Amino acid sequence: MVTRRDFIKAGLLTVAGMAIPISALEMFKPEAMASLVRSFSEKKRWAFVVDTNKCVGCGMCAKACKLENEIPFDADVQRTWVERYIQLKDGDVVIDSPKGARLGFTSNDPYGHEIKDEEITKEFFVPKLCNQCEKPSCVQVCPAGATYKTEDGVSLVDRSWCIGCGYCITNCPYYARFFNPVTNTADKCTFCYHRITKGKNTACIDACAFGVRKIGYINDPKSEVFKIISTQRVAVLKPEYGNEPHVFYLGLDHIVR
Amino acid sequence: MKMSHAWRPVILVVGAAVFLLIFRTIYVPSDFTAKNGDYKYQWHSLRDEKYWMDYPVKHMGQEFCGQCHPDKVEKITASGHQKVQCESCHAMTSKPATKHPVDLKEDFKYLLEIGVDSSRELCKRCHAKLPYRPAEYSESSKGTVKFKMIDPKIHNAGIECVTCHDVHTAGFK
Repeated sequence: MVTRRDFIKAGLLTVAGMAIPISALEMFKPEAMASLVRSFSEKKRWAFVVDTNKCVGCGMCAKACKLENEIPFDADVQRTWVERYIQLKDGDVVIDSPKGARLGFTSNDPYGHEIKDEEITKEFFVPKLCNQCEKPSCVQVCPAGATYKTEDGVSLVDRSWCIGCGYCITNCPYYARFFNPVTNTADKCTFCYHRITKGKNTACIDACAFGVRKIGYINDPKSEVFKIISTQRVAVLKPEYGNEPHVFYLGLDHIVR
Repeated sequence: MKMSHAWRPVILVVGAAVFLLIFRTIYVPSDFTAKNGDYKYQWHSLRDEKYWMDYPVKHMGQEFCGQCHPDKVEKITASGHQKVQCESCHAMTSKPATKHPVDLKEDFKYLLEIGVDSSRELCKRCHAKLPYRPAEYSESSKGTVKFKMIDPKIHNAGIECVTCHDVHTAGFK
């Protein structure tokens, strides 16, 4: 016969006993232990700022990126691209990005249909690239373990391990990944990892004559990116996916997808 | 005494596990690691991080080209095109490329594919009048200036822009 006292005693003991391994897991969480040794502010993390107000849609960024990273110029794949959003007076939104805007936007005729000035309510360009998420879903789904995030927050693809299955391509909510027809592996924007680690700007930033793009450490108080993110109104694309993207947009409209 | 029949599958399972462990030790490169123990996202080969760091830099910009062509770079940095990089017009994509004839710096080992894209289409990428192009340009060292745009259907249609305009000074010839 179990008395009420015994039942409560045993219950509390069970709960306390279960709490020990759970708290032990928390205590020995590698990231938590590491953060005790190295504080957060010392850990560098790359972030990107895109000012959509300044973009004119010349597509020089897309061109420079293709040349820099040896992405075949005529193939319809790109690491960075520019989208054009046109909201019409009848409520429709027209979005186009012919071949990622590698040849720019030179006339107002998305998909070959001319749009007159008086039909338009608002229009703008949105440059896009890999969002270098804090929790990249593309890395999580890779069955070969070929894609990973570096310590400073850039997701990369190991070309010698990638089997080209394409799970990461379908799992990116930002459509930032593509299948590289030359290497036959998944490919994506690397934030020009070979340039930023040498203290240079990315190719797309260098090629932009309009100052649309900026890169820097998000936790370095001296970087321009830190100043913009901490003092101005910025937004990220699709925050509802929980990927914690690190490309921040100034002047982002609600019609942008 | 005869061995129990239950041992045979046990030996098989243990053997398979030992084989897999040995195979893994041989197959997985020794530089596989996860810095700071983030096995969720950072489990990778350090060699590949180096591969991406050592990828050749190609887009060099005015600073690099100015080493041999200081006159051109001086001209363009004084003009309205001061933020336009050399590769925007000189990197060939639409026409067959010619190889740059000089040996470049050691960290720039391949030959640059270079030429002049002086087509009307290239100028239109920035200067064609679109209703949503910003009317002002704020990146110039002269402060905010009017951004020059033309209607390509009306403005000397069919003639190359470089017939009248000098790209390096961003003015007339």
